[in-house]
Amino acid sequence: MPADRITLTIPSRAEYAKAVRMTASALVSRTGATYDDLDDMRIAAEELFVYACDHADEESEVTIEFLIDGDDVSMSVRLPQGTRATDEDAERRAAYATFILQSVCDHYQLSSDLEGQHLKVRKRLSAESDDAGS
Amino acid sequence: MPVARDSAGRQSRKLTWDKQLTRELFRRYRLEGDEDARDELITMYLNLVKYLASRFRNRGEPVDDLVQVGTIGLIKAIDRFDIDRQVEFTTYATPTIVGELKRYFRDKGWAIKVPRRLQELSFKVNQAMDVLTQQLQRSPSISEIAAHIGVTSEEVLEAMETSEAYNFVSLESDRGGDGSDTFSILEYIGKDDQLMAVVDDRTTLAAALRHLTPQEQRVLYLRFFEGLTQTEIARQLDISQMQVSRLLRKTLKVLRENIVRE
Repeated sequence: MPADRITLTIPSRAEYAKAVRMTASALVSRTGATYDDLDDMRIAAEELFVYACDHADEESEVTIEFLIDGDDVSMSVRLPQGTRATDEDAERRAAYATFILQSVCDHYQLSSDLEGQHLKVRKRLSAESDDAGS
Repeated sequence: MPVARDSAGRQSRKLTWDKQLTRELFRRYRLEGDEDARDELITMYLNLVKYLASRFRNRGEPVDDLVQVGTIGLIKAIDRFDIDRQVEFTTYATPTIVGELKRYFRDKGWAIKVPRRLQELSFKVNQAMDVLTQQLQRSPSISEIAAHIGVTSEEVLEAMETSEAYNFVSLESDRGGDGSDTFSILEYIGKDDQLMAVVDDRTTLAAALRHLTPQEQRVLYLRFFEGLTQTEIARQLDISQMQVSRLLRKTLKVLRENIVRE
């Protein structure tokens, strides 16, 4: 079965964090994830979004991509070049987000290319529950 | 007479009070220290309290309790009312009484806007989670929780979001908030820990942590430093998984804000 790819484009304002969290919640719950895993992904989605908001220009949008491949769930966001996250506070927030994301996900990757940075987190959901798709 | 009556003597829905008598009672209470006048004022305006309390009747609390709470607001209003101000006592007392009622709901734990249906569902989800964790010896899935309660998965997710509206302070006092917990995360993390790299120095971290209770620090420590799952933390601290979830979310938010601000 091919992986499901869902993209969410949303204004880069922290007030939308709940919408992102709820989207993650709804998508991950379809896999039959345990409550523990689901809540980790909710935390990750929120942190990822707030992190991206910090980098995105005001009045712009953030696109989060969810990829659900069986019990493997990933979320990624592109951070464009020339972002506003240049001050010391933003660096601290980024480091903090990294700390949280690394703690709740199995895999954390921040890569750069000409267009900017690409942040991706991935989690393999616990295998105890097998009611996927319910 | 506090309640208006129509020409047939029936009690009218419209609430009116005798302004002249009100002024006289306030004068006696304030200038002569007449406590009977104060009591009379309380009795006289009890219908205002009942009316305001009834506006909160659908929020899951007995109206009698609400009337008691509202009466506290009324007494405060009577004691604070400035008789020299050209304002009706009802105008002054209404926000005080409503404020007292709202505070009551906040202290009960629920933010005022959460509908009762969702409050109940949230409690059911919470209970189901505990029961199923026990039965399955692992964290249950959303559909398992849904099946257990007899609702849809979407409703469970809705209840989980609803629980965010729960007042965190009251959770503290529910369990483990008896003041005996003196846990401080600072005692457990070393200079090589990742979080230390985030905040540069211990003083910054200490300042940020000041905003967290010992229980919150303990949850934070167990989840992010010891790597325990929420189920394991819930078991260790004897609280529900949902409480762990709420505590974690609050902790992360507070820390994120204060790591920068301090």
